[in-house]
Amino acid sequence: MPEKRSFFIITLGIIILGIASSGFGYDLEKRVQSYTLKNGLKILMVERHLSPTVSFYIRHRVGAVDESDGKTGAAHLLEHMMFKGTKTIGAKNYRKEQRILDRIFKTGNEIDLITRKATDADRKRLEFLKNRLETLQKEHKTLFIENEIDRLYTENGADDSNASTGQDLTTYNVSLPSNKIELWARIESDRMVNPVFRDFYTERSVVMEERKQRIDSDPEGQLFERFFAAAFMCHPYRRPIIGWAYDIRYLDPQYLLTLFKRYHAPNNTVIAIVGDIDHASTLKIVQKYFGHIPPQDTGMPFVTEEPSQKGERRIQIESDANPHVLIGYHKPAMPSFDDYVFDVIDSILSRGRTSRLYKTLVEEKGIAESINTINGMPGSRYPNLFVISAKPRHPHTDAELESAIYEELEKIKTSRVLERELEKTKNQLKADFIRNLDSNRGLANMLSYFEILTGDYRYITNHVNVIERVSSDDIMRVATRYLTRDNRTVANLMKKK
Amino acid sequence: MISRILPLILASVLLLIPCLGSATDNTHVLRNPDELKYEYLHFTPPSAERIVLENGIVLYFFRDDELPLLNVSVVLKAGSMFDPERKEGLAELTATVMRTGGTKKMSGDIVDDVLEFIAGTLTASVNKEYASFGLSILTHHTDHALDILSQIIMNPAFEEHKLTRARDLKIEELRRIADDPMRFAFKEFNRLIYNDNPRGRSPLISTVRGITRDDLLQFHKKFFHPGNMMIAVSGNITKEQVLITFRKYFGTWNVPRADRNIPPPLPVMPAGGIYFLKKDIPQSIIISGQLAPSKKNPDSFSFEVLDFIVGSGGFRSRIFNEIRDKMGLAYSTGSFYRARGDYGVFGTYAMTRAESTATVLARISGVLNDIRSKSVEKNEIEWAKKSIINNFIFSFVSAEHIARQQLMIEHEKLPEHYLINYRDSISSVTAKKIEGVASRYVLPVEKSVVLIMGNSDAYQQAVSSFGNVQVIEGKL
Repeated sequence: MPEKRSFFIITLGIIILGIASSGFGYDLEKRVQSYTLKNGLKILMVERHLSPTVSFYIRHRVGAVDESDGKTGAAHLLEHMMFKGTKTIGAKNYRKEQRILDRIFKTGNEIDLITRKATDADRKRLEFLKNRLETLQKEHKTLFIENEIDRLYTENGADDSNASTGQDLTTYNVSLPSNKIELWARIESDRMVNPVFRDFYTERSVVMEERKQRIDSDPEGQLFERFFAAAFMCHPYRRPIIGWAYDIRYLDPQYLLTLFKRYHAPNNTVIAIVGDIDHASTLKIVQKYFGHIPPQDTGMPFVTEEPSQKGERRIQIESDANPHVLIGYHKPAMPSFDDYVFDVIDSILSRGRTSRLYKTLVEEKGIAESINTINGMPGSRYPNLFVISAKPRHPHTDAELESAIYEELEKIKTSRVLERELEKTKNQLKADFIRNLDSNRGLANMLSYFEILTGDYRYITNHVNVIERVSSDDIMRVATRYLTRDNRTVANLMKKK
Repeated sequence: MISRILPLILASVLLLIPCLGSATDNTHVLRNPDELKYEYLHFTPPSAERIVLENGIVLYFFRDDELPLLNVSVVLKAGSMFDPERKEGLAELTATVMRTGGTKKMSGDIVDDVLEFIAGTLTASVNKEYASFGLSILTHHTDHALDILSQIIMNPAFEEHKLTRARDLKIEELRRIADDPMRFAFKEFNRLIYNDNPRGRSPLISTVRGITRDDLLQFHKKFFHPGNMMIAVSGNITKEQVLITFRKYFGTWNVPRADRNIPPPLPVMPAGGIYFLKKDIPQSIIISGQLAPSKKNPDSFSFEVLDFIVGSGGFRSRIFNEIRDKMGLAYSTGSFYRARGDYGVFGTYAMTRAESTATVLARISGVLNDIRSKSVEKNEIEWAKKSIINNFIFSFVSAEHIARQQLMIEHEKLPEHYLINYRDSISSVTAKKIEGVASRYVLPVEKSVVLIMGNSDAYQQAVSSFGNVQVIEGKL
């Protein structure tokens, strides 16, 4: 068995289903080089030389869904902490630093515990601890250099150096001039093993500000947050990615470390590298820096399955804003065939000026200011929602708009979609695929996303072929099955009186 | 599946420590990232080809055959600063209804139907300076799509019912603007910073309501002609095809050059002060701003470095470092420098919990005072210059960027070799030059325009810390 002895499992462009897409004169699978290191790290590479730059995407299969209850926001705060340097980046004397960090965390934990109990009895102790924490933090500052990761990337010309956390995934992405590949490998491999959680408590405050900005000061943020909380009763998709304010306030470094160790492991990671590279030498660098990182037992994440809905759910959010309605239907996740059908329904309903909801509600009836549909919220790893988001145009009401939406949904359940309409939608989805290839960043994003989520990036290269098979009967069947009153959650944003 | 061993890599692999169940500490083998050696990266900015059609339309063309895509971007000096008084919103409605309201040959509905069936996208957008139409299509539809685009630009029909709809939607958008605090705050900030200049005008419900089809026709007649327009073309197309196609669809357009449009006067520095806009949100939005050197001004390079240091250079820049990193008082904070051909605006922003409004503004003020009064250390300047210079190649990552970038250079009447010389210009920035621009241009916060949006707690703080605070009403 040569595969077992070899260090890499190499998949060199196997083209089984790439026929339909070849009509566009571009066969992505031929260009993607796929490798798996012995520790389970998956690497996808595409060489292209228009610009002397490279885009890197690292994706870990861990997100808000993997947090324990009471620890919401941990995956996201962890992502913030990953910018604080490592044992060798930013450290002046790591051994000394480690000792002081232990004391900082111990003090912080005690403060959190007392604050959480919220009794006056411990006030004196609390004062004492706060002073101690401040002193320790001051001392700690002398032992490290702040923001070294960002400094290294920025001064080497990085573009779009960023990270993101979702329900399903955590992503670290950056683009660099093509002579700086080793810098990326040096930084990223190090933080995959040796991150140091410096300035933890300050960063926790920053995230609380982030929550204030994204949710508490933004009516739309509040609407979406409460909408998901209502649509899911048991599945973790009910919880906000950024975390509930109460949870964020008491997140602790120990829990973050557990999450980190378990899931930021090579066998739970996909890396995509796209741009002005040479496969062989890039792979050599990746091997040198990432090859030694040990795999971890990520366990089998058993997540509570959402029971069937059994009746419409409705909630109202009062805020200083104009009406906005969200309607969500439970549906299966990819790669279920029905999820592909929803991709088509999504397009038919709201893509472009000729789509059904836009044409009828915005253009003809004039009752909507805007209308959108989104397939796959708030995540895609588990069964999720097909969401319709609409804003009425004054003086029309959200109730009026809602019933007009249901009328349109009835139409796709009861009468066949026209051939031309279906063909238009398929043309658009094919063109989307090609447009996504147009930038290094877009391509690295897409490849790594589908590889980590479905286990094979060819989900996306094959997407158009499956879409091609979706018929008007499929659309009627899926619409009839899922777009029902019993299966929906409705959230209304109302003006506070 | 083809599987094989890569001999080259296997050799180096043998030297590595085998994987163990526990974390391996490899810190002793890692080199200091500052000591990594890189091969020299030679980079000459790729150049788009400039073509002038017989009727004066300037085209920038860059070929890229990798994907069967074509991008066309039409840019006209027809931005919202040309809105007549009391007709604010006209430039935007004109562009929108050109896109939606049909042409002399096709109705708006047919245009939509044809474009969407071939999976093309055509967008119309307007900013202060210019209007822009962006077309993206699969190359085998080039002829068809360009026919439509050219009709839209040259012979729009402005169907009355599409204008009615566009006007209704714009009014609803304005009604809803305060729902998005950040957007609302920046809109009001723009009004304050541009003062009485036409650039400070923005559509209001009342002005949009008064715009008629005749206004659109007049605006189109005045601003849409070959001499006022440039096109960027990129993608899977040869130069010959570009010439043939664009001559065919745009080459016969020979409308007499309408009134030479005179650019509006440069903005006049508004009177500084603290303006307060009330909104019941738990976080305050603080924006400060002032005028700054234009792109044509040689000082703009030093100013760009200054801005990078003050607050746009990421985690290490001063405002970010102070307010986010040290104090934990904001998630979004920093500075911005938007330079155009003729003028520039420099400012700072922060979103912070209501109770720290005054603290944050005081800290921003401190950072600005520091840059005005103290010299910047060499390390910090070198870091900023190196960052900007190394990042320069990202302005050329796609054919579309390349063609469009060059178009904008000419559009803003910048020197022809602006891009070629850009890195040298940044390179020549010194501590002395930064001190110079800091003292010449950067104003203390109290002399800038400061907008605070927030709740009554934020208001109390602003008043007790800064005294004179002017309460404004957002205009809808």
